[in-house]
This record gives sequence, C-alpha cells and structure tokens, in this order.
Amino acid sequence: MRIYILRRLVAVVPTILMITLVVFVMMRSIPGDPVVALLGDAFTEEDAAKVRQEYGLDKPILAQYGLWLAKLAQGDWGTSILSGRPVLKDVLVRLPVTLELIVLSMAVALAIAIPAAIIGALRQNTWADYSATTVAMIGVSIPEFFAGVLLLLMFSVALHGTLPSSGWVYLPGTCPMVVCTGSVWANMMHVLMPAIALGIGRAALLTRLLRASMLEVIRTEYITTARAKGLAEKPVVLKHALKNALIPTVTVMGLQVGFLIGGAIVVETLFAMPGLGTFGIDAIIARDYQQVQGFALITAFAFVIINLIVDLTYSLLDPRIRYA
Amino acid sequence: MRHPVRNAAVMIVIAMMLGGVTAAHAQKRGGALRVAYGNEIAGLDFHVTAGYEMIWVATNVGCGLLSITPEGKFIPDAAESWQISPDGLLYTFKLRNKVVFHDGTKVDAAAVKFNIDRIMDPATRSSVRTFYEAVHSVEVVDPLTVQIRLKHPYAFMLHMLAAYRMGLVLYSPAAIQKYSPEDRRAGKPEATISCGPFRLVEWVKGNQLVMDRFDKYFEPGLPYLDRVTIRTIKDPVTQMAAFKAGEIDFLVDFSVDHVDTLKAQNPNAQIMTGKETTPMVAMMKVTVPADGKPMSKNRAPHPIFSDLRVRKALGCYGIDRKEIVKLAFKGQATPWLGIIPPGTQDTVDVTSLCPYDPAKAKALLAEAGYGPQKPLTFELLTNTEKAVFNVIATVIKEQVARLGVTANIRLVDKVSWLNTATQDGPFDMYVEDLASLLVVDQNAYLAASTAAWNSARHTDTKVDDYFARYARELDPVKRKAIAKEFQEFSVENLYWNTISGSPFYQVAQPWMKGYTYQAEFKVIYKKVWLDR
Repeated sequence: MRIYILRRLVAVVPTILMITLVVFVMMRSIPGDPVVALLGDAFTEEDAAKVRQEYGLDKPILAQYGLWLAKLAQGDWGTSILSGRPVLKDVLVRLPVTLELIVLSMAVALAIAIPAAIIGALRQNTWADYSATTVAMIGVSIPEFFAGVLLLLMFSVALHGTLPSSGWVYLPGTCPMVVCTGSVWANMMHVLMPAIALGIGRAALLTRLLRASMLEVIRTEYITTARAKGLAEKPVVLKHALKNALIPTVTVMGLQVGFLIGGAIVVETLFAMPGLGTFGIDAIIARDYQQVQGFALITAFAFVIINLIVDLTYSLLDPRIRYA
Repeated sequence: MRHPVRNAAVMIVIAMMLGGVTAAHAQKRGGALRVAYGNEIAGLDFHVTAGYEMIWVATNVGCGLLSITPEGKFIPDAAESWQISPDGLLYTFKLRNKVVFHDGTKVDAAAVKFNIDRIMDPATRSSVRTFYEAVHSVEVVDPLTVQIRLKHPYAFMLHMLAAYRMGLVLYSPAAIQKYSPEDRRAGKPEATISCGPFRLVEWVKGNQLVMDRFDKYFEPGLPYLDRVTIRTIKDPVTQMAAFKAGEIDFLVDFSVDHVDTLKAQNPNAQIMTGKETTPMVAMMKVTVPADGKPMSKNRAPHPIFSDLRVRKALGCYGIDRKEIVKLAFKGQATPWLGIIPPGTQDTVDVTSLCPYDPAKAKALLAEAGYGPQKPLTFELLTNTEKAVFNVIATVIKEQVARLGVTANIRLVDKVSWLNTATQDGPFDMYVEDLASLLVVDQNAYLAASTAAWNSARHTDTKVDDYFARYARELDPVKRKAIAKEFQEFSVENLYWNTISGSPFYQVAQPWMKGYTYQAEFKVIYKKVWLDR
C-alpha cells in the first residue's frame, strides 16, 4: 500500500508540472499587463520597464517559468505583483475555507443522493422513484449561482437573516488572522448555504448514478442469496448492496472535485467567502501571474490528492481490491 | 425638478447632515462599524497604490496637513494654520504641537518634508507625483514650521494637498526607513504608520481589514468608534442581503442599478448621494502611433476620429444623452458634456452646444465622406467592471445605427481595457467612467496632451495651455472665465466626450450617525458613532 501511494505521489509531479506550465503560458498569452494596473496613472515606459525587470517579466516565458520553478523548489511561491503579499501565505489562509466548502458540499450531495437513490432503486417505477428522478433532474439543471441567490433571498432576506448572507467565521483554533473569533456554530451557519448551493447539483448527479448502480447490484445473485438466507432487508441494502454500488459513485465523486473547485469560484464570489475560488478569479482578472500560479498549483495538487484518496477508499468498500 | 429621485436623495443627505449637527450632544462612544466595499483593496501604500478602496482606508489611517469640507472650505489637520505669500509662491504651514504617528514618533516639519520629497522622488513611483509638478522644494523652518516653495503660482495647491486622490498622507519616516515598499503595499501594520484617527491592525486580502481607534489622535475625544472592520462583497444582491440582515452597517459604494430595490427593502436606510463628480465618457481616439509602437511620440491621425466632423457627428449631435441617462441610470444622472462633470468646481453646462440632432449628424458624416456608399463602422470598447458601461455602449450602438453607422461592441475585462485604453492600444471609442474630479485642474493628468492617461491621444497643446492658465490664475473670477472658455473649447474639439455624470451612492443603516457624505473623495469615520 505504501509503495502504491508513493508511486502515485511520484506520478503526480509531472502532472502538476504540466498543469502549471500550461497555465503559465496561457496567462502570458492573453491580453493584459499587471504592470499597468500596478503603476496606475503614474505609468511611464521607464518605470514599467524597471518593474518588469524586478519581477522577471522581461524574460522569455520559458525562462520565467524556470525561475518560478527554481523558487518553488526552495519553498518560495512568489509575491503578488499587485498587493506585494506572499502568495503561499495567502493560499494557506484561504485553503481551509475552500476545503471545508468542498467537503461539506460533497457531504450535502451524499446526504441527499444516498437515500434518494436507495428509495428510487428499491421502489423502481413508483411515485417515490419518479419523484427522486425528477428532483435529480431539477438539481442537475440549476446552476450554482441561481441556487445560491435563491437561498440568499430566502434565508437572509425573507427570513430576516436566519443564515448569514456572506463572509466567514473560522473553526476554533484555525483562524489565521489577528482579529478573529472562532466558533463551530457560526462556522456552520456561514458554510450551510454555500455548501447547499454547491452540493445540490452534485447530489442530483450522484442520485442518478447511484440509483443505476443500485438497480444493477440488487439484481445480482449474492443479494438474492442474502435475502434467501433470511437476512433482514436493511443489512442487505446498506451493507451488501450499497457498498458495492458505491464504487462507481466514489470514482465520479473524485472527478467531481474539479467541478466543485470551479463551482467554488462562483459560490465564494456570491457569498463573499475568503476562499481559494475568489483568490483565483481575482488573480486571473488582475493578471496577477504569481497568484494565478499559486492557485493553479494548489488546485491541481488538491485534485490529484483527493483522487488518490478516492482510489484508496476502493479497498474499504471492496476488500477484494488490493494495492501493490 | 429634472431628476426627482436624485433630488430627493440629496435632500435626505442634507437632512441627515443637519440631523448630525442637532444630535451633536448625543454621540455614543465605542462599538465596531462593519463596512462593505464593492471591490477588493489593491494594496496599501498610500503614496503609490491606485484605487478608491485604498483611498477610503488612507482617509482614516492617514493624516495630512489640511483637509476640505464638502462645501469646499479648508480645515486644519496636522497643520493648525497656513499662510500663502502674496506672489503665491510660498506656502508656510504651522503644525500642531502634539501630533504623533501611530508608532509614537512626532509629526514635525522634517516628517512633512520627508513625505513630500518621497512622493516627488521618481524612484518612489508615486501615483500622485504628477500633482506635485509645481513644487520646487520643501524647507524645514523650525520643528513645527514647514514651507513649500513653488516654481510658479498654483491656485490649487491647497486643494491638491487636501484632496487630490486622498490628499497628502503623512507616513512615519521611521517606519518608511525600516520597512520595504512591499511591506507597505502588502499592508503590514507596522509598515503602515501614519497619524490618522485609526491605526491599521491587519489587512488580510480577500478577508478583512481592521482598524482600531488611535488613542493618541490629536483631536480630543475622536474618534468615537473602537473599531472599523472592512470586507469586500462584490455582488450587489449579496450586499443587499447583508444589509437587510443587519450584517453590514455601511455600504461605501453601492450600485445605482439596485438603489430602488434597496430602498424598498429598507425604508429606514440612509441613502446618500450628491454632486456628480465623476464623468461618464465615450472617448474617441484622435491619433494612433505612426510607427505602430504604442505610446510612440510619432503620431498619425486616427483613421476615423481624427476628423473633427466625424467626432462632432457622433459625439456631439449623434448621441442622445437624455436617452442614455434614462435607460442606463433610470434618470438618476445628469446628461452632460464638456471636460469636467456637473459636480466639479467651475463646471459650466455646455451640453446645450450639442443638441441631439440626427439630421445634422448625418450631414456632417456625409461631408466627411460617409454614407450608404461608404458606411462608417467603428469599434466600441467597453469592460465588465460595471454593468452600466454595457448598457451605455448598447444604447450608443442603437443611436448611431439610426445614422447608418455600425458600432461593433468589444467587451473586455478591466485589465484588458486598462491596457488598451491607457496604453495606446487599438480602439476607436470606449465607454467608461473616469476619476472623480474636485476641480478642473485635477483633470490635467487625464486630459493634457502630455498626460500618460491621455487616452484620446490628442496632441493639441492648446489643452495644456488652458490647464496651465487655469491652474496659475490666482484670481477666482478670471479663473472661472478661463474654465468657461476651456469647456467651450472642449465641446468645439471633442478631445474629451462626456456623456453624463456618474452617480455615486452610499448606504448606511439608520443607527450609523455622524457621517458626512463627500462622494468618492473622502470616506471618514472619525465622527461616526453608533446609536443602538
């Protein structure tokens, strides 16, 4: 198992390098120069040339990439061209927010998908099945921003601030700031609407997928055998059928992380959350190259690590799967 | 009553200000003000960083020599008095005795000299250096007396020190010497040391900015608030939800599109607006680089808009400003023309010189050689920063279509716009609202032929002469006459094509008291208190 994990981690390196290279080249190929925004109306060609030199922006793109990699190897993620803040510091401040959002939105998705899929599969072609399928279709069709605005108008406006509309409260002990009040309750209140907005679309997708898997599994011989042996329906469904049906769903969950990161950009902007999504989009809009690289690096890394974890969970769901 | 809604809003502001005066005895001390900005703070070096969001921090963390009231009256800040020599070349400032920076060091004449010298040093790359062009030198007379010597008379020296951008902000020389420019830009609290009513506690970009009361602030009893916390909420829908839920006390810049909705949701909210000091422009490019290199001094005429007849056909007679204001601003702005907006000092309403007259516009286009045989097509650049830019661009497209002209809208993001419009990139016309302007002189850095941000890239030195004559004339009556002549000249030549004023809105909860609206220029919390 350890060797497998190590091998996977080593294999991750070229993937991440390739992603960062593509992002690096793409960012420098699109129009826009951060130096213009940095100098503002004090812009002169001479000053611009000096700033470009300071940040190495006057060098060929591949040389710039090489410099960035060399610094990265020393643990230096660079400094934001516009704000002057160290990129790694900002990434570390924002990472927990987005991770929590993604994990909880996936939890919301599973909390909806698993019961809906089981009901749909066990009561196939009944009103319960049709309802679950219809809800799933609606969920897939609602974009995150629309679900978010609906939730916002309902819980923050119509229900007079039942849930906070925006911002973030950290979990106790995790706050990276000087002025901060950590609270589990306030944290949950802040993350609930964004997690639902982000998770609802995934829930719909997972419901459809899991229902199809469940339908397949409950028709297999070992389920019939379990029932014939007199096992109660609950363990048959939850222990024997669901576990096996979950394997393709878990694979898709891993792949969905990419969509969740994309969705986080929208949801974090809407709910004014200080996460990686807003960090990334602000960086792209401002052409803050160092910050964009930081964003690409951390999201690529998160994506491959989460998928590695997903792969490892297969053995928990199906003991026949072994890693070597 | 051309603009009933705007006038009513102005009345609210006036009533609120009067209310603030009558309730002067009831101020409560303490509490934290929760503020929301619509855009992220770019950086916190007050002498270098651009952007209003930074300015609205600087006006609270920083102090300067003097300040200005909404009525245009100069009031003391760190300087208790000042004198101007009869020839207008020597400004002598007497500093207050016990003003200290947040690090405990004294605000003295040497600190003032240090700061102005720093701004004027090209190595600082200060975004306000251009405003100090008239300054010859700064001299320390004694620890509490500083003199600024000018190269030539400059009628707006006090305006500049008080309010161009945020006015002069004094940094602690000790902090400047100890910390790097990156530390200041990044808002490191120990590097961002000034002498304002609040001291910077922390800035975590994308999260929050916190400033606390500075207990040794030189104005006794001020500020009232213990703390101000600023965060960014970009989406107006979320801003409204946060305001409705009482999570936010003050929205510093609120979208004009959503004012009516917010008003309906919050009947007791204080909705503040005032004179329109920002111009909404449809800028036409007059010259292009002859050698193809952006910003080149070797200029060639722009293929379309170098022809004054075309500029006048489209910018003057072919654009219906009233219709634009009605559709884009729901009537809550003033149709305007000329080189400065309606709320700027010495402005003159020259809009009547360009009445909407499609027939005249068509005739001018025909005279310039455009018509059914040779239809005119141009590119209309706009950006995604504000939805209203797009609406205006669309209305202009429709209006010029009535003249048989095709405007192809190119929508880009803000940075691409910035690069194209200000760096001599390829465009024909762009829609954008530009900087808030206190006086005509302030527009020199955007409109003079030598200005880096002369986005029309006109080369007419008469514009520079007007700016210079206006700025150096010390007699206000003569200055007003120059301003009028200049604005008429501007309409005649349309190097600068204003569409309207760009309204600015701020929204406060009913419990926020003591705030004075000063448009984009100054957002000051030192007299704010919370009545709850």
